[in-house]
Amino acid sequence: MEESRSKHRILMVSDFFYPNFGGVESHIYYLSQCLLKRGHKVVIMSHAYGNRTGVRYITNNLKVYYIPWRPFLMQNTLPTFYLTLPIIRTILIREKISIVHGHQAFSTLCHESLMHARTMGCKVVFTDHSLYGFADPGSIHMNKILQFTLADIDHAICVSHTSKENTVLRSGIKPETVFVVPNAVDTAMFTPAPTQLARDEVVIVVISRLVYRKGADLLVEVIPEVCRLFPHVRFIIGGDGPKRVRLEEMREKFSLQDRVEMLGAVPHSQVRSVLISGHIFLNSSLTEAFCIAILEAASCGLLTVSTRVGGVPEVLPEDMIVLAEPAPQDMVRAIEQAIDMLPNIDPQIMHSRMKSYYSWHDVAKRTEIVYDCVMDSSNKSILERLPRYLICGAWAGKIFCLVMIVNFILWRLLEFFQPAESIEEVPDMASMCNHEDDN
Amino acid sequence: MKNGRDSHDTYKYVRTDTSTLDKVIDVHDVYVKRSKLRVLFSYIGRLILLANMSLLLIEKDKLSIVSFWRLFLGVVSAKLLQYKPIKKVMVDGSVTFPPINYIRSGVAAIHIERPPLFQSLTDCGRIDRKFIQMGKILKPVLNECVTPVTCYWSLVLVLRDDDQLALVFQKLQPPIKILVPVWKALCKSTNLEDHSHSLK
Repeated sequence: MEESRSKHRILMVSDFFYPNFGGVESHIYYLSQCLLKRGHKVVIMSHAYGNRTGVRYITNNLKVYYIPWRPFLMQNTLPTFYLTLPIIRTILIREKISIVHGHQAFSTLCHESLMHARTMGCKVVFTDHSLYGFADPGSIHMNKILQFTLADIDHAICVSHTSKENTVLRSGIKPETVFVVPNAVDTAMFTPAPTQLARDEVVIVVISRLVYRKGADLLVEVIPEVCRLFPHVRFIIGGDGPKRVRLEEMREKFSLQDRVEMLGAVPHSQVRSVLISGHIFLNSSLTEAFCIAILEAASCGLLTVSTRVGGVPEVLPEDMIVLAEPAPQDMVRAIEQAIDMLPNIDPQIMHSRMKSYYSWHDVAKRTEIVYDCVMDSSNKSILERLPRYLICGAWAGKIFCLVMIVNFILWRLLEFFQPAESIEEVPDMASMCNHEDDN
Repeated sequence: MKNGRDSHDTYKYVRTDTSTLDKVIDVHDVYVKRSKLRVLFSYIGRLILLANMSLLLIEKDKLSIVSFWRLFLGVVSAKLLQYKPIKKVMVDGSVTFPPINYIRSGVAAIHIERPPLFQSLTDCGRIDRKFIQMGKILKPVLNECVTPVTCYWSLVLVLRDDDQLALVFQKLQPPIKILVPVWKALCKSTNLEDHSHSLK
């Protein structure tokens, strides 16, 4: 593979980052670490988490700006359109950022950062991590925001082909501007148990948030049926959420206390220890763009049973996963098939295969290609970019144009009162540390 | 003798660094340029207050609640527009040998070194001084601060047995190119202190 022509200075922006744990958070973290190893400069920007505010340095001198904007709703900052312009402009100038990479359609900070970055002439990339609907009011509103953000974007990244279709349909951007770069898994962290578990009792592990979207209602139907059909099967359920009560009630109703173990919320650092205590991993999500959880389970040597939704069929080969429709009968059938397949499963071989299929270094390499394409695209003035917003809708297009014009005017005002030359560039931390050691 | 100068739109930096047999003088002066616009606004604020008070005196027979509100707003605007700029901040990290008893401004600086002096001089002539024992300084640190609208650098001291960081420049935000020589000098002084302690 060709080496990247130049090293980039990237600002990753999202409302979702450490100390939160999740798919988006770990994606940003691992991708940033691998890009740092490849010689790029990466800075992350998120909102403050409690007392965690200001500049922090995490592993390998990865710099994180926790800007003191409190989360407003579901970990998102309050959408203000223009109030984040001064701080984002300051960070882009002082860190000499060339590419702004926003993550997750649900993040208001991401949308505002991409808007301001485009106004300032920076290149922008957007990664969509989730699938969204088309019909409900929330999705309609979200899709309109996405249409605005992606109207003037250089390139977008989706984590699966299904996610790419979904993003293209929702936002109306050209499919040729969207790249598919899947997620990966830290196979060094998720390793199988040193000794294979005995198969006289089959343990099925479920680790997910117990919410509607993750199919917790399906579990309530599936578990009693499986326990009835297979006396040697037991369940371990990790996770918490509003649907936990339903699972507890099911356990009481069918007297499954000795066969269904509820662990509650499992810290991310302990997920592996829970996974290696089982033979089969059960995923009952009703929608998934990619599903890192089944990668983690496969890396630990578990056979996966999952609903055939979203991007899940693209994640694992057929001999590692049994797919089922999101209906209780089909899921029971799939679990039966998985139990029959168990004698042929070798966790160590499965782990080795996962190491070769997925790696964050590969994700970083592919993302670098996207960055190179982005840097090759031509710069356009605001007058050339405004027509892209007009096609977003009869009324919405005009409103979007107005928003961008006002943003441009505010940016020019800021340039007048606080010129870019007056904002100091941040010295390179590595050279400063060397200088301090010399002193 | 080494001297250094640097200039910025708002700040001017002058360093006096002299070594003799019995002492090392290391003084960093940061001069703050007055903002003409802010001086103008402060005079406008005072003018508004003066006008309101004059009107109050003229209308003393016809006072009403509105007159007092006007006075209150005049006081508030004068206070908000008030400009008491800091003229100069001095960081004195000089070191004196051999041991002498040295008394200045009521503070007895005993033993070998005189502690670093942080001194700010306001426009109206008021001098604020702060002494910090050299031995109390664990490390001088350049800190990046983030506010909801901007980022800036500050020079802080990590002190022994103290959770709070001590700001070297309390009310100013000098640029990094002015903070770095002060930071280096403080690092050198604290290293000298650590070294002298280790030699005992």
